[in-house]
Amino acid sequence: MTAVRDGDVERLGLLFERYKRQLYGFFYGMNRNQELSEDLVQNTFFRILKYRHLFRGEGDFRTWMFHIARNVSHDHYRKDKLKWKESVEDWQDKLGHEENREGEMQSTETNVMLAMAMARLPHDKKEILLLSKYQEKKYKEIGEILGCSEGAVKVKVFRALQELKVIYQQLEKTM
Amino acid sequence: MEQNKIEELVAKYNEGLTDPSEVLQLEQLIEEGKVDLTQLRSLDRLDEQLIAIESPATSLAMDDKFYAMLIKEKKKQASSSFKFSLPSWNWLAPRLAFSVALVVIGFGAGYMFNTKADPNVELLTKQVADLKESIALSLFEKESATDRLKAVSLTTEMDQVSKKVTEALFQTLNNDPNVNVRLASLEALIPYSKDGNVRAELIRSIGKQDSPLVQVALAELMGMILEKKSVTEFDKILKNDKTPLEVKNRIKESIKVLI
Repeated sequence: MTAVRDGDVERLGLLFERYKRQLYGFFYGMNRNQELSEDLVQNTFFRILKYRHLFRGEGDFRTWMFHIARNVSHDHYRKDKLKWKESVEDWQDKLGHEENREGEMQSTETNVMLAMAMARLPHDKKEILLLSKYQEKKYKEIGEILGCSEGAVKVKVFRALQELKVIYQQLEKTM
Repeated sequence: MEQNKIEELVAKYNEGLTDPSEVLQLEQLIEEGKVDLTQLRSLDRLDEQLIAIESPATSLAMDDKFYAMLIKEKKKQASSSFKFSLPSWNWLAPRLAFSVALVVIGFGAGYMFNTKADPNVELLTKQVADLKESIALSLFEKESATDRLKAVSLTTEMDQVSKKVTEALFQTLNNDPNVNVRLASLEALIPYSKDGNVRAELIRSIGKQDSPLVQVALAELMGMILEKKSVTEFDKILKNDKTPLEVKNRIKESIKVLI
């Protein structure tokens, strides 16, 4: 990224190839919408390019990227006033759509149910679990993104997992 | 809290027997780093399952949009670094006349060979393809096997690859330390196996492989494209005492198809 910042913008392509799946996975985990997630990936890289001079080069690029991604995601939802919560019925509708079916059909029943439970989590809890996943449980780095301590991140992950477990168990009973 | 008390609390949590005040205590211990999240078995299992869920693949349109944006930025950068100074008339006049003539010829030729394709779109498509190629070639050079796999994957998204790319794919197929990367590059070369040069290189590659997986994959490919010239190379592998029996059998099956 330091090379990109210093003018070699073409090298952003390398970073895009390296991180596009993780970034897309983060957005897709947040909204379950393929097209929207791709747009948000594009917006994130647009901001990275626009604000490249602000990359200080002290920390990890991925941490900086997720910091921007989080802002992109927040801005999008603030602008469109979309609802965070989805009902199980919405979810079943989504699973029926052509674009989602292909991926979801390959998943096991457990995975589908877990994804449904994730969709029902409050936004902040869903976000912390996705950051934990795509930042490979590097809690210190997640703390830098969220502006809190490593210990506080662990507690947030703990609480989010606890709630996810409760929702998952409820879904298990209803299915 | 003493270590044995902490362990008791964790055990109690894992049994699902903690009350809300004990959960708060646990949170405190997690924050202080005295309890690791992986110790909480049911949550850890859930977390691992969550990590295992894969999101759908991204579309090629996303890549194209990104590369188009990058090209636009490169152009902007190039134009902003251009310093303009007023040239002399003697220097400018012949060049201006030549440019005008070129424009007139261009218009004339355009009128004569008018096609419906938008030249701007064509140019952008070409630039995106060139940029993707350049990124793929850079990724081939990376130390990380994941990056090299990404390079191979990027080449599979290209409509047509250049000689440079096929050379990089062969370089990878013949020399990459990672078997998965070698296998991926072989797969990426399959669409080009109609080309005589690619076929010849594939045959040469047979003798360079020491991985049974790649040897078998090459044997299957040669069987699929009915490349009889590969038999001599496979015979050498069959005569080699170090070749595993399973590999020999698979190669023999492919040879049967070829002769």
